[in-house]
Amino acid sequence: MTTRDISLVALMAAVIVALGLVPAIPLSAGVPITLQSMGVMLAGLILGPKRGAAAVLVVIALVALGLPVLSGGRGGLGVFVGPTAGFLFGWVLAAFVAGFLAQVFEASEKSTLVRTVQLSGAAILGGIVVLYACGILWLAFFVKMGLVKAFWVSVVFTPGDLVKAIAAALITVQVRRAVAIERK
Amino acid sequence: MIASLARPGASLLHRTPAARKLAGLALAATVLFFVEDARLLAGAVLVGLVAARSTGATFAAIGRDLKGPALVLAVLGLVDWWLIDGTTALVVVLRLGAIALLAHAVTVTTTTAELTEVMERLFLPAERLGLLDASRAALTVTLAIRFVPLITQEAREIRAAQAARGLEGSILALAVPLLVRIVVRAETLADAIDARGFPPDRSSSGRDQETNERPRSP
Repeated sequence: MTTRDISLVALMAAVIVALGLVPAIPLSAGVPITLQSMGVMLAGLILGPKRGAAAVLVVIALVALGLPVLSGGRGGLGVFVGPTAGFLFGWVLAAFVAGFLAQVFEASEKSTLVRTVQLSGAAILGGIVVLYACGILWLAFFVKMGLVKAFWVSVVFTPGDLVKAIAAALITVQVRRAVAIERK
Repeated sequence: MIASLARPGASLLHRTPAARKLAGLALAATVLFFVEDARLLAGAVLVGLVAARSTGATFAAIGRDLKGPALVLAVLGLVDWWLIDGTTALVVVLRLGAIALLAHAVTVTTTTAELTEVMERLFLPAERLGLLDASRAALTVTLAIRFVPLITQEAREIRAAQAARGLEGSILALAVPLLVRIVVRAETLADAIDARGFPPDRSSSGRDQETNERPRSP
């Protein structure tokens, strides 16, 4: 890791934390959503697999250090053994997969629309499919809820996350148009 | 800096070394996952309550701190009760409740500085395996802590500017300028770190750690 990687990773971790502190934004339908999980998708999409996952690891380290960095002011060691810990650990894999797919899709010149669709797909696969797999497995086996029940309890949150995935893709396209940054 | 969840105090848990508390918590959580007896788990909850209370926090304060986890637990308990049976629900709620209380007792009595020290020690074996560079990893974590308030401040400024232009509620209008500023700032930050000659070479950083143990000569 170069010094530039370190500062990008640290700042993106700080962005994920800061997005958790921003009060929930009401969508047009009136459903409030918090922006923290979008921060995880953005870390992968903007920084790439390794640095994106590293940014999430830094956030997890901050949680372990007893800082209230998760949305709603949660933090401390209880989070790691709580029922939703699978979603927290899943963030690492989510950022990695989203970043990896974004890197794969990067190859050729494309229209903004195609790029947005591809990045949305990357964010959905990483930030929803992979993330929910981790969260649901944790609920199913550590909380002993069983796979089917864990699935239905979790799946209620997917509509909000779909919106966030598409927003993350739109944001990534615009940010990368403004500043040159290599994915790694 | 972000305000830590730790509270000052002089209780037994405050005085116990951080590494020992963390090891104890990990052990307790592991053991509790294998306990299925509701009476034993109720005992564990009692131990958790005593531990949390021994930090000097009143039960009202503990309740306030654990409101979020309690809500999640209540939902989980209800789901289990509804879909499986009352006994399973009770076991799950007692187990996770006990762990939450114990973890809270450790979190409240351990400062960020103590935990950072433990974390650096945990980084060392990974460094020997060539997985990461302990000093760089520690710097990254410290930088993130340092930059959260600045980013929150910038986010607030951007939102205020949007509100003035009637753009309230647009996630795109907040995140795009925020992230562009962040990436540009990362470049400046990297230059500043490089200019100060970080990281120090391995041999000298090792000596620095040793001298911290002894009083410095004038």
